[in-house]
Amino acid sequence: MNAAIKVTDLSKNFGRKQVLQSLHFSVPPDSIAGFLGPNGAGKTTTLRILLGLIPSYRGNLEMLGCSIPSQRVAALEQIGAVVENPTFIETMTAYENLYWFGSLYKPLTSVRINEVIEMVGLKEAIHQRFGTFSTGMKQRLGVAFGILHKPRLLILDEPTSGMDPAGRVHMREILQLIHSEEKTSIFLSSHLLDEVQRLCNYVVIIDKGVTVSQGFVADLLASHLEKWEIRMADEEIAQARQLIENLGQQIIVASTPRGLLLTMTTGLSAQVNQALVNANIKVSALIPQEASLEETFIKLTSDSGDKGGSS
Amino acid sequence: MKRMLFLVLFELKKILNRKKALLFLVALNVVPLVASLALLIAFVKFKGFGFGEIQFSVLHEVVQGLFTGHVKLFAFIAPFFLALVVGDSFSTEFSRGYMKMLLLTPINRWQVITAKTVAIMIFLLLAVCIGGMFLQADLLIARTLTQNSGLIPESMVQNLPGGLGELGDLVKNRPPTYLVSTASALQLLAMTFFGNLMLIGFFIVFSLFFESAILMSFTSLSVLMGIHTFYLVASGLLNKIDPWYDALAKWCFTRHLDDIFAIKNIQSILDGKASLLSEGIFSSLLAVSIWTAAFYLLATLIFSRRQILH
Repeated sequence: MNAAIKVTDLSKNFGRKQVLQSLHFSVPPDSIAGFLGPNGAGKTTTLRILLGLIPSYRGNLEMLGCSIPSQRVAALEQIGAVVENPTFIETMTAYENLYWFGSLYKPLTSVRINEVIEMVGLKEAIHQRFGTFSTGMKQRLGVAFGILHKPRLLILDEPTSGMDPAGRVHMREILQLIHSEEKTSIFLSSHLLDEVQRLCNYVVIIDKGVTVSQGFVADLLASHLEKWEIRMADEEIAQARQLIENLGQQIIVASTPRGLLLTMTTGLSAQVNQALVNANIKVSALIPQEASLEETFIKLTSDSGDKGGSS
Repeated sequence: MKRMLFLVLFELKKILNRKKALLFLVALNVVPLVASLALLIAFVKFKGFGFGEIQFSVLHEVVQGLFTGHVKLFAFIAPFFLALVVGDSFSTEFSRGYMKMLLLTPINRWQVITAKTVAIMIFLLLAVCIGGMFLQADLLIARTLTQNSGLIPESMVQNLPGGLGELGDLVKNRPPTYLVSTASALQLLAMTFFGNLMLIGFFIVFSLFFESAILMSFTSLSVLMGIHTFYLVASGLLNKIDPWYDALAKWCFTRHLDDIFAIKNIQSILDGKASLLSEGIFSSLLAVSIWTAAFYLLATLIFSRRQILH
């Protein structure tokens, strides 16, 4: 089956500044994929290029089996997208905006518009002018616009930007509903790593215009970081801490009520174990913990910063 | 095709939603509206003296003169209106992000230019027709009032016997109810279409470089007026110093608009003495068409390379 999105050797300069450098990644079909990267990593630029808003670049792009830009229109017929904040016409109501913009994909019935409006929880505001909408309502209307024509792929840029926690939870529920009920693959960029970890099963991480890592979330967490809580006698904790910290910067040591919490690059646990045994420190319990996407993200992006970016 | 049609309707709706455009619609038609009302009131007043038929011929002549003036005035004001509407349709849409939303849908950029042009043109032709319709309505109402005055009904005019002398000739040769013949009206509309299509193309090229409609209008109108002023100075004055200026003046595309919308051309078409294929008009229309094609090609090329970053 074709990848939902396939980007190969994508490079882009704005004047003398190189924003993307041979970026490459692919997003598997039927997934909810997160597109992560620090500010200025090139996420929005990549999305704009994919959707044809930036026509000059180097590289090969493919979406749902259609080559971009030659088959851009054919691809966009199967894709719903909102880049940055949705900017509908302020003087028109939510219904009018969805009708006019949405009908550019295919003729729409009022039943479908009402169904989508209800799905994103804007039933009460359907005849309210877009100009009077709050940030959260605007984002939800953007999602509604994206799924009006039942696309195979939905591309969203920071869909929860500017929303309060309750709004974020609601947006997450909406996206999960769209994925399960409409069978739509989703590719979304976000800064909110916790949100991405809860929602996405696949992630692409970029930094300074290069791909840092990509893969299924579970694999990524397991392959880059391991996290252990070790317990020991209280008098040995300080010595153990000193010992582990001396092993290098690859290990983050934090205190817990009965021992230490170690976050380290995969493969370092044997080295830690050896050091503790050599120092005759008796570890009474060894409890595995799940590393968060945030920790993995920070490790990966700081590594790429140290190395000047790698893929 | 359906998508394109829908895009045109969407663009038309956006234009009609703008107060600025509606204000212009009123401004462009304020002369025929006020004049037609004033003439009708005057006609009704004078008809009371029993000279309804004579006054109708006078009214017809005055209304025709007003119509000529309306077409000429329209040609003069239209660039100001077009600059603002094109600025709103492109520059403002870039800055507000509407263009981004539009280009996220499966439409090509050339389709956006085409749809916006068609919508603006429909609005423009509608505006020129409205003025004509006010004046036409004037004549219709005036004729209806004359017929109902009890002097000589229309049915009787057709069967009037000969030998009525001067009065008979006057009644039989009274002017028609229509303001312009269909052929003349269509030809004037075609002239308006071609002339303004070139202007829209010219303004679109400018609008692609700006994100403020006012700034874009100011710049493009300044350039337009600069070119025309140069043409007037170069062809009327500087050519006497050096014939090279005459050759340069020929490249000023604004002169073709001047030629097309010259009062004598409008009058000749109204009188049926000239048509679009007449020598002077046809060559100007041809030149305008070539400039139009050049502006649109340039606009399409620039737009296809433009980055949408807002």
